[in-house]
Parts: sequence; C-alpha cells; structure tokens
Amino acid sequence: MNDGLFDTPRTRRDVLRAAAMTAVAASLGTACAREESGGPIQPPSTGAPQETFSDPRTKLSGELKILLWSHFVPSHDEWFDKFAKDWGGKVGVAVTVDHIDQAQIPTRIAAEVQAGQGHDVIQYIATLSQYEPSVHDLKDLVDEANDRWGAQLDLCRKSSFNPATNRFYAYSPGWVPDPGNFRKSLWEPVGLPNGPTTWDELLEGAARIKSDKGVQLGLGMSQEIDSNMVLRALMWSYGASEQDENEKVVINSPETVAAVEYMTRLYQQAMTPEVFSWNAASNNQGLVSGKLSYIVNSISAWRTAQGSNPAVADDVFFVPALRGPKTALAAQHVLYNWIIPKHVTAVDAAKEFLLHYTANFASATYHSKLYDFCAWDGLTPNRNAWLTSDPFGAQPADKLAFLADAIPWSANIGHPGPASTAIGEVFNTFVIPNMFARAVKGEATPQQSVADAEKQVTAIFDKWRAAGLVGG
Amino acid sequence: MATRLADRAGLLAWLFLLPSVLYIVALVAVPFALAIAFALSDVSAGDPSYDYVGGRNFERVFDDPVFWRSLGNTFVFTGISMVLIVVLGKVLANILVADFRGKWLVRFLVLLPWTTPVALSSISWLWLLDSIYSPIDWVLRFFGFLGPGENLYWLGQPGLAMTSVIAVHVWRLTPLAAVIMMAGLVAIPRDIEEQAMVDGAGYWRRMFEIKIPLVLPVAAVAALFGAVFTFTDMAVVRVLTRGGPNDATQVLASWAFYRGIEGGDVGQGAAIALFLFPLLLAAAIAILRVVRRIEVW
Repeated sequence: MNDGLFDTPRTRRDVLRAAAMTAVAASLGTACAREESGGPIQPPSTGAPQETFSDPRTKLSGELKILLWSHFVPSHDEWFDKFAKDWGGKVGVAVTVDHIDQAQIPTRIAAEVQAGQGHDVIQYIATLSQYEPSVHDLKDLVDEANDRWGAQLDLCRKSSFNPATNRFYAYSPGWVPDPGNFRKSLWEPVGLPNGPTTWDELLEGAARIKSDKGVQLGLGMSQEIDSNMVLRALMWSYGASEQDENEKVVINSPETVAAVEYMTRLYQQAMTPEVFSWNAASNNQGLVSGKLSYIVNSISAWRTAQGSNPAVADDVFFVPALRGPKTALAAQHVLYNWIIPKHVTAVDAAKEFLLHYTANFASATYHSKLYDFCAWDGLTPNRNAWLTSDPFGAQPADKLAFLADAIPWSANIGHPGPASTAIGEVFNTFVIPNMFARAVKGEATPQQSVADAEKQVTAIFDKWRAAGLVGG
Repeated sequence: MATRLADRAGLLAWLFLLPSVLYIVALVAVPFALAIAFALSDVSAGDPSYDYVGGRNFERVFDDPVFWRSLGNTFVFTGISMVLIVVLGKVLANILVADFRGKWLVRFLVLLPWTTPVALSSISWLWLLDSIYSPIDWVLRFFGFLGPGENLYWLGQPGLAMTSVIAVHVWRLTPLAAVIMMAGLVAIPRDIEEQAMVDGAGYWRRMFEIKIPLVLPVAAVAALFGAVFTFTDMAVVRVLTRGGPNDATQVLASWAFYRGIEGGDVGQGAAIALFLFPLLLAAAIAILRVVRRIEVW
C-alpha cells in the first residue's frame, strides 16, 4: 500500500504532504539509519553504569591515535571520545580519536598499511581478516581478556581468529544482533500479531499483507551489507552455507538451491523490484515511513523512529531469527574488530586501552542505547534489566526483552567456519546477493545461479588458500 | 663574462617546464608504473610485500564473468554517453550563443552540473531515482503515465539502472561539451554565414553545411573529453548502484575498486584497472591530433 499519498496528488495540500513524507524519508538517509538529532525524548529511567579503572600492567607514555566508525547511535561517540581521553589522562597517554563513516574505513586501513603510518588502533564493524599479514597477532590480548572475564563469545572469536594461521588478527569485544523488525498493525490482521516466527509464516503473512494492503516486504537482494546479512541467514536456516567448519566451499548444495527457490517465491508474492536497488539505509527508510511490513535490521532504525516518527516507532516490534527447515539463525548485524597495524609503536598503550574499554563495555552498551552487545556476557550485568525495562523510552518498555536470548540465534559471517579473508572477499564482492537476484529475476535457474556462485567462491578461496590465509 | 640566466633560453625552458614535469611524473607516471607492478604481483590490501606472480592476476581476471560484463558496460556507457553529450552539447551551444535576455544567468545555470562535484550531484540523483520517493515517478504519476502506487524502480531494473547511469553522465558532461562547442561557434567568421544567408541558405542548410563542418574538430575534442571522463569515472556507479543490480552497471573502474580495495586483492584490482589504459591512450592520441588540426585550421 502506498497509502494514497501519491495516488492522485492534485492539490497544494497533497503536494505539501508528499514533501513532508519525502523529508521524513530523507532524514533517515544515512547508512543503516544513523540516528539523527531528536532521538528518544523520554529521559532514561535507569542510570548509566559506573565506570571502572585499573592501572595498566606497564608504564605508559606517548600518544595513542584511535580510528573508529561514526556510530549509528551518536550518543555512543560522545561518550567514547570523553571516555578515551579520560583514560589517557589517567595513564599519561595523549589520546586522539577520529571517527569516519564506516564505509570509508577499509579504504583508510589499506592506505595506512601501504603508507606504513597512521592510527595506532583501528576499529571496524565487520571482520578485518584481509589485513592479517599487516597487523599484530592479538592472542596475548584475547588470552588476558579471557583470563579476566571468562570465555569470549564464539561468534566474536570466529570473526577475529584465523585457525589456518593460529593468529588473532583482530580483537573483537562486541557485536550487534540482527533481529526481524515488523509493523504490528500490519501483521495483526493476518493473524500474526507477534510477527512471523518461521520463513513459511513470513511468506504467508507478507504475501497477504501485500495483496490486502499493498505493503511489500523488505529483504534486500542488492549489492549492500544488509542484503549480505539476511540472505546468509536464510541460507543457514535452510542448512546451507558458503563453507563448512573446515573452510571447504560447500555452497553448491540442494539446501542452497532450496533457499534460492524459497526467495523466488517470497519475491514473487511479497516484494517489488526496489529490493534490487537498495543501499544500507533503504530498508530502514521503508519501514519507518510505513512502506514495508518487515525488514531484518538492528534496532537503530527503530531508535531513529522514536525521535522522528514516534507513532511508527510504537508500531514497530521485533522477532528473533526466523526458523527454516533446519534451524533459526541470523548473522550478526555489526561485529567489532579492533586491529593494531604492525607499523604501530604504541602497541602496549593500544592493548591497555582495549582492556579498559572492554572492562567498561556496559557503558558502551548503555550509551549506544542497547545497540552494542559485549563478547564477554558477564561484563554487562544490567543488560537484561535494561532490555526488559528500556531506559530510552520503548513502548512497551520490554520491547527489546527478546534480545536477552539473542546469542543462540546469532552467527558470524562465514558460519559454520571462521570469517576468513576469502569470506571477506565473497562478502565485499556481493556474490551471495547476486546469486539470489539472478535466480529471482529469472536470469538463471536456481541451480545455475548457485553453480555460478560456486565458481566465483571457489576461485576466491583457492587464491587465499594459496596465500596460506585459508584452511581446508 | 658569465652568461646571465635570463639569456640561457635552454635552461630557462627546462626551469619553466620542471614543475609540470614533476607533477606529471609524481601523479601520473609513478602511479601508472605502480599499477603495472601491482598487476604482476600478489600485493593485497593487508600485505604490501611484493612477490612477482607473472600473468596470474590477468588469468584470474579473464576467468571472471563480472570482469567481462564490466568491460562491456564500460564501452556501452562511454559510447552512448559520448554520442548524447555531443548532440546535446551542440544543441545547448546553439542556444547559448543566441542573444536573449538573461543569457548570462542561463549560461551560469547550465554550467552548474559540470561545476558540482560528481559525488554530490550523484547523491542528488540517488534521491531523484529513489525506489519509493522518486520525484520523477511522482511527476509521471501526476500526469497519468504511472498508475496509483506504481513505481519504475529506476535503480532496481537492469535496463533502467543502466539508463540512469548514462543519463547522469550525460547530464554532468553536456555543459562541458556545450562550452567547448560555444567556443567553436563564436570562432566561425561571421562573413561566411552572412554570405550564405545572402545566397539564400536557410537555417538547417547553414547548420549542416557550414556550422557543423566548421565546428567538427572542436566537437571531436568535446566527444573525447566526454569519453575519457565517462570511461574512467566510478563515482556515479558507486553512489547510484554500487554496480548493481546484479552487476548490471558494473564498470572497469568500479570493479577494480571492489576487487582491489574492498575485496583486498590489490594485484587483481590493478590488473582490471590496467584495461582502462589502451582506450585512454587512444583517446589521448586522438585529442592531440585533433588539437593539431585545429591549430593548422
């Protein structure tokens, strides 16, 4: 349904309404629904956690230059910048923090690695396995963290550890779940007031919503990050994957073909060609402006709506990963990888800062408005209390309570194997979205499309395996 | 008596040329040599150490169907854009050389697309071509060309996505072609046209038998500039479609970036990018020849 706004816009009022709608959509237009000014308006009902400090293991001095993404929830960055500089003041290190758009970070790292100079510690929101030869092995840091706080979450470990070389190319202290977001007012009339729980229910409900109300479903098949995530979730739920746990390419399987065939049915019955053109912000915009019945994304789009469109925010609810014939899994939406390039001299300062940051991850979770989750669960003891009584104005207050159990239905990119350099290249060259899109659009049969994708994936794996960075 | 510096013409010539030579060596020759070196190596985004691998990157590139699609798209986008840029540039130039009130304001507005940074203008087009909120769709719906709630999905259909990319190239480069051809038009001696008018030649005859032949060398320059800018551009594709849908708008420059930087395989990215070189070399030779013809004329 396009709610009649653009159907017969003949009057000046209609034009103004259309302009207002466009302005609302445009305000959501940064990648993955970066939350703009406005935000949730209710004051937090639960206070921020107390931060801790312990002396570094060695005497520190000099400078520490940190590069990280501009968080989708800006209040996180305000907290982080002060947090980092306060730590520097206590330990005698001059800390500088630079934030840039997440899409620019891989290019920036490549430039700094080639130049042999730049930032001392760099964070990105996906695996940085491709930089393994040029970064410090952080095994000692991970071991220290495990000694202090217990075992690291498996999906974070798999996204920072290369079993082929036995090296931790990154340190991964946090991640973000990727639930389904649905409009309750649309799903209630089709008999699913709590949203779909299986891929079959999604097909059935979304098809009825589209035929009854003209509102389409929003799962991307485009060359962008969210499409990459959700299509892997579908594959895993059907028992398919790009690689097995030993990094052997297994994408060409009856399970993958079945997943592609399912997506073809879903597209034909519940979607429109817009899903082939999307960027990372498109599904957020569509949900918040009432044009989509269901998307798969983090909570940031909904947080945005809390400030810009509270009525829609109150109507948006969440479901965990949908169950398929084999299992129910979703990819992590964001996965924090911190690397220390080999050319860096402030290695000790970087490691001590990362330990201090991890020890205070509860603050990161709080100031990101419950967006960031910790790889060491015990470090955020209040998280479940926040999720069941949202300090940032969720209606109802326990809207996010289901995220307390997000770990069992979340997996790393590359599941059931590690997030290797090869997986990174498959991800960044959009092999999986294109595999689905070709079949869905009828350019190839599902079998042919999967076979073509296998050829591309195998070539990428062979290349990195020959370089010694991929096992199998 | 020592010769003064001002009298040593040879030395002075080199001194004056030196900044340009340094500039070209640093920003053209060195990167080009690096690209060739990288294309023959296993250098990756994460491993700058150099190991010679011969033609292995080229073999892999030839086995990659996306490369062939990108190569084809690059020629299609460039060819169609070049024709449209020349034709529309000539039409625009004819309008802009005419005398009318507000001519300078119109000239200023027409030049804006060329002066706007391509990344910014591409983002504007991204909004104009939005799947749901496209103002173009809104206008088409307003006039009844689209049904209620109907959208064209400009960037979601392969044909329309390719059309959109070409349209943006034409939009941003036509003003450049128009300005180049304006210079050609105003340089035509007025007595030639006046003589033709006295002889009874009409507007179209003067256009096709006097103006176009005389402007042709300049039009060639405009066409070649348009071709070079279109052939090497990746900003429009990156902002509008990221090469999609399903690599339908992937071009050599964008695929080299995705493979080399985002994918981490710098060697293969460099090998892909090197395929830009033969056409650019041909274009450069052609431009120089045309410029020489103009000088003679």
